[in-house]
Amino acid sequence: MTDTNKSNQKEEMKSLKILIIDDNEQITKMLTTFLELKDHKCTVANDGKEGLDVIKENRHDVILLDLAMPEFDGYSVIKDLEENNTLKDHKIIVFTASTITQEELDDLVKRGVMSYILKPVDIDLLHSKLIDTASL
Amino acid sequence: MALTETVEEGMFQAENPIHELNRMLVKYDLTPNQAKVYLFLSKIGIKTASEISKALKIPRTETYHLLSTLQQKGIIFSVFGKPTKFNSTGLEESLGILLNNERNRISELEAGKDSLIKLWNIIPKYGEDDTESQDNKFQSLQGRNSILGKLEQMIKESKETILVLGTDADFKKFYFTEFTELLNKTKSELRILTDHQSDMPNIFESIDPNKVKKIDDKNREDFCFIIKDDSEVIFFISNNKVKEMLAVWTDSKAFVTTLKSLFSLMWKKSHHINETDAESLLGSEITYEHRLREIEQEKMILSYLKENFKLLGNGKDRR
Repeated sequence: MTDTNKSNQKEEMKSLKILIIDDNEQITKMLTTFLELKDHKCTVANDGKEGLDVIKENRHDVILLDLAMPEFDGYSVIKDLEENNTLKDHKIIVFTASTITQEELDDLVKRGVMSYILKPVDIDLLHSKLIDTASL
Repeated sequence: MALTETVEEGMFQAENPIHELNRMLVKYDLTPNQAKVYLFLSKIGIKTASEISKALKIPRTETYHLLSTLQQKGIIFSVFGKPTKFNSTGLEESLGILLNNERNRISELEAGKDSLIKLWNIIPKYGEDDTESQDNKFQSLQGRNSILGKLEQMIKESKETILVLGTDADFKKFYFTEFTELLNKTKSELRILTDHQSDMPNIFESIDPNKVKKIDDKNREDFCFIIKDDSEVIFFISNNKVKEMLAVWTDSKAFVTTLKSLFSLMWKKSHHINETDAESLLGSEITYEHRLREIEQEKMILSYLKENFKLLGNGKDRR
């Protein structure tokens, strides 16, 4: 079975509730359109604080979290969840264009982040990663 | 006589610095004519009411009235004799007395505040409660003191954020007031966007530099406003025809939200004043790299969407 077939199979399996926390409105809009075409439900937060509020209010199958955001960034979101001992309750994928070392990425995973994706990424790969992470 | 008239003729000529003194004394709660009489006596010395009236060309009845008020204020005194003569206390002593009078007046007002509120509350409200009119109030404020009073009230009552946008020149009239002290004391989140030159004194120099950002010249707009929480804003109006400061206070949600968004946008684009040029440059290089990757990501999603919509479009055409 090819990777594409596998991916298609997964897509048919489940419609996900996805939270996107990213300050880049172009990306959030287009990503939402893409994911909705794939029958997922998306919620968007354009900064960390708003994202944190949404996380606390609603449960999501997977959360795409940008790291570099003005004011309240992705690190602050992770730190806040960590302080409340709820980081591991959420399936967070760090989705970043920042220059970040492998060590730093590993550290985030060690702390409780499920996975990471570095921008730019192939859109199908991103989709597979979302489905894989949600099904873990 | 000749001396008095000659001196008097020169005293209140437009170019004489005594005019400036006269204007300044008005700020100490004297009327222009009270200040004129006081300054006349200070410089000329003991004179009768009639002599003052003639010299200053003020009607005699009004002169008596002015002298009586100045005596009550404690800055001139009468000398026994017939006719009664008048003299003034020294300027420094007089200013002290006038300041004290003002302090006492404020203390009395403060003391009366509670009784006034109690009395007010006793009187039943006759009009109907119009909750809608609670919103969208606009108040025009003229003059430093009325603006400062409102600003102080806003800063003291703030519970979440105080956002300040404006240049040092915009706020220069608040030097030597409690304005910056109150900003320093506020427990709300404080953010100030201002012009900043490290070699020049700045009204915000006593504020924690982490709370102050420098407006980039390219982002510079002629705005000056202060926002309290999500609820109130004072914005300044520059009007060359009016010498006094002019501002408008409002609790209009639409106004507050719009100005808050503008502030937030400018805040994002600006750098902290304690950031060195190198840090700032480095920061922008990182942002540049970062932005390139984001653009690449945008392109990738966009091309996927275009391809998909094209397919969808073709499908429709076929139908």
